[in-house]
Formats: sequence, C-alpha cells, structure tokens
Amino acid sequence: MRPLLQIEDFHVAYGKVEAVRGVGLTMQPGQIVTVIGPNGAGKTTLLAAAAGLLHSRGKVIYDGVDLERLDVEERVERGFCLVPERRELFGDMAVADNLLLGAYTRRRNGSDVKQSLQQVYARFPRLAERRRQKAQTLSGGERQMLALGRALMARPRLLLLDEPSLGLAPLIVREIFRIVASLRDLGVSVLLVEQNARAALETADYGYVLEMGEITHEGPATMLAHDARVVTTYLGGSD
Amino acid sequence: MTARAGSVFVIVAIAALGAAPFWAAPFTITLLNYIGIYALVALGVVLLTGVGGLTSFGQAAFVGIGAYATAWLTTAQGVSPWLGLVFALILTGIVAAFLGAITLRLGGHFLPLGTIAWGLSIYFLFGNMESLGRNNGITGVPPISFGSISLEPTYAIYYLIWGLLVIATIVMANLLDSREGRAIRSLRGGVVMVESLGISVFRVRLIIFVIAALLAGLSGWLYAHMSRYVSPAPFDLRMGIQYLFMAILGGSGYILGAVVGAALLTLLQNALQDVLPHFSSNGEQLEVIVFAIIYVLALQFARGGMMPLVLRYLPRQAEPPIAAAEPLPRRAMPQGGAPLLVVERLLKRFGGLEAVSQVGFEVKAGEIVGLIGPNGAGKSTVFNLITGALKSDDGKIFFLGQDITRAGQRRVAQAGIARTFQHVKLRASMSLLDNVLLGTYLRTRAGFVKGAMRLDRNEEARARSEALSQLKRVGLGDKPHDQAGNLPLGRQRILEVARALAADPALIILDEPAAGLSRPEKIALAELLRGLRKEGVTVFLVEHDVEFVMGLVDRIVVMDFGCKLLEGTPAIVRADPRVQEAYLGSVV
Repeated sequence: MRPLLQIEDFHVAYGKVEAVRGVGLTMQPGQIVTVIGPNGAGKTTLLAAAAGLLHSRGKVIYDGVDLERLDVEERVERGFCLVPERRELFGDMAVADNLLLGAYTRRRNGSDVKQSLQQVYARFPRLAERRRQKAQTLSGGERQMLALGRALMARPRLLLLDEPSLGLAPLIVREIFRIVASLRDLGVSVLLVEQNARAALETADYGYVLEMGEITHEGPATMLAHDARVVTTYLGGSD
Repeated sequence: MTARAGSVFVIVAIAALGAAPFWAAPFTITLLNYIGIYALVALGVVLLTGVGGLTSFGQAAFVGIGAYATAWLTTAQGVSPWLGLVFALILTGIVAAFLGAITLRLGGHFLPLGTIAWGLSIYFLFGNMESLGRNNGITGVPPISFGSISLEPTYAIYYLIWGLLVIATIVMANLLDSREGRAIRSLRGGVVMVESLGISVFRVRLIIFVIAALLAGLSGWLYAHMSRYVSPAPFDLRMGIQYLFMAILGGSGYILGAVVGAALLTLLQNALQDVLPHFSSNGEQLEVIVFAIIYVLALQFARGGMMPLVLRYLPRQAEPPIAAAEPLPRRAMPQGGAPLLVVERLLKRFGGLEAVSQVGFEVKAGEIVGLIGPNGAGKSTVFNLITGALKSDDGKIFFLGQDITRAGQRRVAQAGIARTFQHVKLRASMSLLDNVLLGTYLRTRAGFVKGAMRLDRNEEARARSEALSQLKRVGLGDKPHDQAGNLPLGRQRILEVARALAADPALIILDEPAAGLSRPEKIALAELLRGLRKEGVTVFLVEHDVEFVMGLVDRIVVMDFGCKLLEGTPAIVRADPRVQEAYLGSVV
C-alpha cells in the first residue's frame, strides 16, 4: 500500500538553531501514529513545519504528492490539517461559526457542509448544545472538542494533533482519546503529539520517540510501551 | 561587513558628526539641526508607542506648546530663553499630565482617536489666540546664549541640539534597562499579568506619556530659538503623523530608530523637494503621494523599520554577566499551621450563570493544597477572585487576617500572593531573565529618575542575581538571555513559576503548572514545590495530573459546577464516589 505520509530527512531551523534534524517518518492510511518525547525535543516544530507553517528542508510526500511547493491553504484543501497546541479558536465568534470556518476551503457545496456540521454535532453533542455560545465561554474540554470538530469540517484525510489532552481533566482526557481512536473508523489518519505518553501509546498503532530533534526510537505502539527505556523515561510507574 | 568594520564605521560616523560644522555646508548643518530636533520628538514616540504600546498622533501639539511657551515668554516678557525652557517644560508637562489623566484609560482605538482630537484642538488654539499672534505667529524670538556665547549661528546651535539628543538617548537607554523600564516594556500584551506583579499600569503609562511630551516640549524650545519664529503650521496633525512615521520607519522598538527615522524622513523630504519640481508644477502634492507610497511599502515589507537592518552592521554588545550579589531582603514567613487564606461563601456570576457559588475553604500556612475538578468547574475563576483579577459578587477573602476581598491585584501582590496563569502570560520578546526580573518589582525600589541616572546599579545587581537563582532553581538557568517565546509551552509555564518565586511570596498560586511537562519535568517540579513547603511557602494549585496532585499535596478541595464538592486528604478524595464519577472516571 502507498503510504499516506512520508517524511524524509526533514530539517527545521530557528535562525541557526536546528530544532528538527533529519527526521524520517512514515504513516499508512488509516493509521494513528504518535510522536512522544521531552519538552523542547521539537515535536510541535515538526508538526507546524509539516503543515507548512514553518520553513523546512527535506521531503514531505503526502498521498504521493511532494508538498514542497504547496502552501498551508493548499495542504488543507488536500485534507492535511493541523490542530494546534493552543487550539487557536475564534473566541468572539459562535461555536457554529467556528465550525463553519473549518469548512472554508470547501465553500462550493453548501448542502455538503451542512451535512458535515450535523455529523460533527452528532459526534460532539456538547458542541450542538452550545452552538450559539461564543467560543471563549467554553470550558477547556469543550474547546478541544471545538478545535477537533473544526478540523473535521475540512474533511481531512490526515489530522496532525498537537497535545490534544493539554490542560484537561482526567475524564475529558479519556473522552478525547476515545474520539481520536474513533477517527480511524472515519478513515482519518492521525499524527498525534502528546506529553501523556501512556495514553498516546495506548491509542496509536505506531510510535516514534523524538529527542533533541532526532528520532531515537520507533516501533509498533505496544512494543514501545514495553520498551525499558521508554517506560522509565516517559511512562513511569503505575498511572 | 564584519563587526570590526562595523565599529570602525560607527567611530568614523560619530567623528564626522562631531566635526560637521568644519566640513559641511551651512545647509547641511541646517538639515542636521532639523534631524536632531525631529529625533527628540521621535524618541518620545519610540518610548510611548514602540515600547509602551500607546499610539499617539498628537506629539506635534506638545512641540507646539513648548515652542509657543518660550516664544511668548521671551518676546512678551523679554526674559532669557533659559527661563523659557523651564516654562516650556512645565507647561508641556502639566498639559500632558492633564490630557494623559483623561485619555490614557481609553482602550483600543479610542486612545489614538483621542490623541487626534487634542492634536487638532491645540493646533487651532494657537491659530486663534490673539496673544499668540493668531495665524501670523510670533516673530523676533531671541537666540539662545551661553553667557556671552550666542548660539545664533547655525553651527553653534547644532552642538546644543545634538548634545541634548545624545544625552536624551543615553538617559532613555538607561531607563529602559532599569526596574521601571522593564515595567514599561511589559505594557504591551495585556495588563492583567502586569498588575498581578504589583505594577500600576496607569501610573507607568502616565509617566511615559509625560516623558514623551517633555521631549517634544524640549524639541519645541530648540525649534523656536533656532528658527526665531513660531506659527501654528509646523505643529498640525500632519506633523504629528510624521513623527509617528519617523519612529516606525526607523524602528519603533529601538531607541536609535528615532534618530534613523528622523534622518531618513528629513533627507528624503529634502531630496524630493529638489527632484519633484522637475516633473510637475504640483511638487508639494506629489510629495504627499510619494510619501504615502513609501509608508505603505514600509508597513508591508519592513514592519520593524530600518533598525534591524542597521543592527546587522553594528557591533553586537555582549550581555553583561550576572554576578552573584547580596540577596534581596526576604519576607518573614507566617507561622506554619496558622490560617493563611480564608475564603467564605465566595460567589461570582457571569451573566445568569453562577460560575462560583458559595465556595468556602481554608489554606493553612506551610501547606500544599490542590484544587481539582472538571474543566469549567470554576477553579480558575476562584484563583482570579483570590488574586483580585476578578471582583466577586459576594463573599469574603482573608489573607493573613486581612480582608482582601476588594483589594485589587496590586494590593494582593503586595500582601504576598504571587501567581501563574492557566493561559501563559509572558513577554515573548523579552529574555527569560527580564521576565523573571519583572517578578522582583515589589521587592525593589528604584524609580524612574534613579533608573535613568543609573543610580540603581547596586539594587539592579541584586535583583539580577535573585532572578538568575530562581531560573536555576526551576531548571532554566542555562540560557537566561534567550527570548522567552522560544521556549516550548510547558517550559513557559515553569518560567512563570520562576517569575512568581522572584516575588518572594508567602502564598504561591499555580494554575496547571504541570500541563505540557514531560514526566521527568513533573517529578522535578514536585520536588521544587516540596522544597518551597520546607521554606515555609504555602502552595495552592490547580492541576489535572491526578498522579502529580495526589503524590504532592496535603489536602485537596474538589469543585464541580461552581460548588465545592468536598475537601480532604488525597486518600479521602480519591475514595469518594462523587469525585470518581464527576472527575476521575470509574477506573483510577
């Protein structure tokens, strides 16, 4: 099968400092792949650069197409969407409008968009209840749901999720990971960056460990979860 | 060009400027005089707009007040221009303080609109006052003299203008590098964090507004005695806009940007006035259009102005080392076990919703207490009520026996409470060190004058040493001069902890300090907080990592839907079925 995403010899630098150094990563369609690693390892940078928000060197091949010449908007149009760490909602706008903006690149078919909106509401009933509320009045968990829902409105084939569980209560964390896992059934692939390594490895099919800008470990998620070094550094004792 | 060539260039340029009257044509000197006079005003704009974030279109009016004040006094009363200077500065200062007091509380675009309004009205005032000669202005303004030396010749006043400009630049650089200077630099980007450190945003804004006006007044005084004539035209709104653009074109975030911008605009204007008449008989109108195009291009392609370009060729100053110094005085910590924070029946409504409803609890000195609950339960609101960032609708908050319910953020900070924020509030373009130094604001004293005269060095060294030791303590001590914005989000939270610690608080309130941290970093953070408890510092924190909270705290308060669900030891809270259902989920 042709990989959905193939990143090769990928470098990202801030001025003279290289934050991501020669990273290679492959994803099959329908897979959930996670990147774990310490703070400052370059995980957020990797996602942002892959989405086209930062300048990078190296190859990003998505669905057989080299993305080098495509800007962020064109990547989104092809179903390549980033959900950033800070969620970046439009706080002054209603929940429904935030969602509709997610479908901005599909503006041509109106009824289609309405159908997607209903699907998102079905997936996140909380958002349906709050559709007229301003996004800034939402709680942390609802904000993350809105960020996810907005990304789904673009009909993505690949979602890049940056720390979806950040700042969320345990119950909601579990809910978010359940939703991420359920994206597989939609045929959406997920590249997941998480500090909550345990939950990330439980959800993902395959994992990479990024340290100091380089991939130091990789393997099927269940194997990584039992790797001695990963356990001591990222998972710790019983949780 | 290398750094060495750069420093040679700087020395040559300074020598050339210093000797300008000996080699340059009189007209060149006149141009340089204007550049200096404009640069003084633009320097104020840099402070006000570029650094302080307050946009003013009205600085030309202050130049006018300074110029008219001295022109009127020296002609109508026949006194010395030096008395005129005193009068000009006093008058400009009073008018600025008055205008500032009524307009600086305006937020958003209302402040710039306000500056346009008084910029216009002061200009029309000049043109309509009989005693100021209406639109004809005041003629026969005497030249300045030093004893028997008259500064009437162009080259003579040149030295006065540039001498004052150099002094003003140095004083400004000193100021921005001081305690109050950091407060000024922190003004851009939200006032809640600034006030939480005990800094009065309004006071700092008012003072920089007056400083900028005084620089404009000084410039007006020089202008009046150089051209020996004043009329309303040079002080109109168009000129006010030009001063703003000088700062922006030069680089409004840089002190030297004022000089570069003033020079650039003056030389450009002069060149256009030479060239344009060859193309059109409407040279003046054409000039406006050419400038408009330049402004648009500059805003599009060089937001930071020319300074970033210039800086590339200037020798870079090494950051001064941070030497160990005598520690700052510390607060006496309250007796362990005594009630430190008492919250009674706290109530907060947002619209119809009760975000916090009848919440009461106690935190004892020397404890670590956790506040947990689902997202949206009202935890951060409770924090904001305690720290004065929000006003409660009912209930009481006592800290060390003192009622702080209505105290406001600054008095709460003074009382000894420091905090971090759920959504990180740092100054991304300031260094790690400067961000932490902001935390020492209430432990240090040096004011604007001391900072500007560099009389604050001893205290400053102590504050820097303190800030570095706090950075080291949280594990961020290796690169204190890096920009805070370059840290990953998780470490930015830890930087906020260091900033809070720098305030030497009796109670430290942490909003999700461990969010975004990796496991080893969480372990280090827990170790740090236990160390604080040993020192007698009380810790009150919101955190979602159950493992982290349960292993660290002495007691937990649980909130759900704005109400207190229960409080108790970690074991009791963990075993409670209500907590399991609302927060932890069935499997723990």
